[in-house]
Amino acid sequence: MNYFALVFKSAFRNRTRSIMTTAGMAVAVLSFLFLRTVVDVWNSGISAAAQDRLATRHKISITMTLPKTHYQKIIDRVPNLSGVTYANWFGAVYPPDEHGFFANFAINGDTYFKVYNELVIPPDQLQAWQEDRAGAVVGPQLAKKYGWKIGDRVTLRGTIYPGDWTFNVRAIYDTTSKSFDKSTFMFHWDYLNDAVSETRKEQIGFLGVRVADPRQGAQVARAIDELFASSDAETLTESERAFNLEFVSMYSAILTAMDVVSIVILLIMTLIVANTIAMGVRERAHEYGVLRAIGFKPKHLLAFVFGESTLIAVLGGCLGIAIAFPVISGFGKVIEDNLSGMFPYFSMNTSTMMIAGGLSLAVGLISAIVPADSNTPTTCAGRLALSSMS
Amino acid sequence: MSSQAIVSLRQLRKSYFRGHIEVPVLDGIDLDIPNASFEALMGPSGSGKTTLLNLIAGIDRPTSGTLTVAGADLSKMNESKLADWRAANIGFIFQSYNLIPVLTAAQNVELPLLLTKLNKKDRSERVRTALRIVGLEERMKHYPRELSGGQEQRVAIARALVSDPTILVADEPTGDLDRKSADEILDLLVQLNEKFGKTIIMVTHDPQAADRAKIKRHLNKGLLE
Repeated sequence: MNYFALVFKSAFRNRTRSIMTTAGMAVAVLSFLFLRTVVDVWNSGISAAAQDRLATRHKISITMTLPKTHYQKIIDRVPNLSGVTYANWFGAVYPPDEHGFFANFAINGDTYFKVYNELVIPPDQLQAWQEDRAGAVVGPQLAKKYGWKIGDRVTLRGTIYPGDWTFNVRAIYDTTSKSFDKSTFMFHWDYLNDAVSETRKEQIGFLGVRVADPRQGAQVARAIDELFASSDAETLTESERAFNLEFVSMYSAILTAMDVVSIVILLIMTLIVANTIAMGVRERAHEYGVLRAIGFKPKHLLAFVFGESTLIAVLGGCLGIAIAFPVISGFGKVIEDNLSGMFPYFSMNTSTMMIAGGLSLAVGLISAIVPADSNTPTTCAGRLALSSMS
Repeated sequence: MSSQAIVSLRQLRKSYFRGHIEVPVLDGIDLDIPNASFEALMGPSGSGKTTLLNLIAGIDRPTSGTLTVAGADLSKMNESKLADWRAANIGFIFQSYNLIPVLTAAQNVELPLLLTKLNKKDRSERVRTALRIVGLEERMKHYPRELSGGQEQRVAIARALVSDPTILVADEPTGDLDRKSADEILDLLVQLNEKFGKTIIMVTHDPQAADRAKIKRHLNKGLLE
């Protein structure tokens, strides 16, 4: 026998109580991992943003359009660029599933996939799409969700651009980055421009700008904005990371709430584990007196209490992490299939797991503080005095 | 201290405090216990016999007086040193056995040896020897709930013996046992005293248990009669 064996046997002395507490800890860690994964994935677009790409939009609001002439002016007058493209947010819905959100854009077919080269299209499909003005490039998750295949005709109902819009699915893209949305719908900007009213023609939503040297990003952004500083359509150019952050920040309250809840869950577990340990310590006050009589010192008893608490918390934490794999993977599949616009991927990070493991250990240690310093006497005689000794 | 005395008390006093009121329990004890003695401490409830036992065993500290046990002045030791001293010199036998229920008999006996530097093999050997002395080697893997009261007390005695202490202190060791089991335990204590030379100090209410001791001492109102 050794100290660990003593701690282990003592920790599970009241088997039902200890198992329930361990299970509770596992559920708490699972909840923590789930919530943190949601936050991590939501923020992943920010962290996965290209270092050498900028986004240019109307200075006043992303919802306001820019004249298409801005595109050529940028190409002609701003140095240190390796690519420029433009696109409009189309915002349509798929009538059979009007509540099923997915991103849809009208894009410049010649340049978009060069600037956003994380999107990969088989050459034959890309050519077929470029030859079809009504052609559409769709994401694999979207195609799978609605059962679309190459050659299918798809009709979307416009919201920003009213009416029914019919497209031919000509390509299904893949991505080189897991953070990229796999359920986007893209079609030719010219197809949109030809069909809108005169007042809406030649208007673009935003530009994507690739800089030749990422270190020149700030200067290029300044140069673009200075170019249009005196125009009716002033621009705001920022890094892709900052651009993505603006979208995420719309949900910052929800994300913050999830962060807080994930910690609160663990705080609650700390109290529960502390109570479990405290009950055990109270029940074994006499036993601790006997151990003191034999020659064990207060530091040994402290180590036993901390050991038991940490064991239960860490076991629960490990169980929670183990369960999280299939649970989050299962949920992830459902989420990726149905919400890939918001969650292009849904899986646990290694760092999140390690944080969960570390917090489990912290729960174990913190939970033991009060029971270890419980109100039973610390002297040997005091502890034994609680007993049935004569 | 006399040359043969393993325990020597001079004007030993012990008081407890109930709020601000001082309650004297031992009122100036002078006592010498010879080495290899088997002593029974008797007295009515509240006479201070358990308190005296606790002081000799180093579990408690005197209010005043000197207390020398196995060559050590216990009144000068701090808690940590007392713990080390107890581990090396004292074996405890309690009335209600106080075995840890989640440990086997062998593991209970091994507990004091966790405080030593012995390796696993040596600890195991000592445990086996201690259980053999008390006649329970074949029950070493049994849990306390699987043993009778007498067997539990024998395991407790093995635990008290395993670190080869100088003194065994026993607080009502037969208090929870039937007559037959009590006699078996007393036979074992006599054997430990006569065959192995252990000094045994036993608190008891049982006159038959006291009769098995070599020396009987009576405590009344904190003083030895």
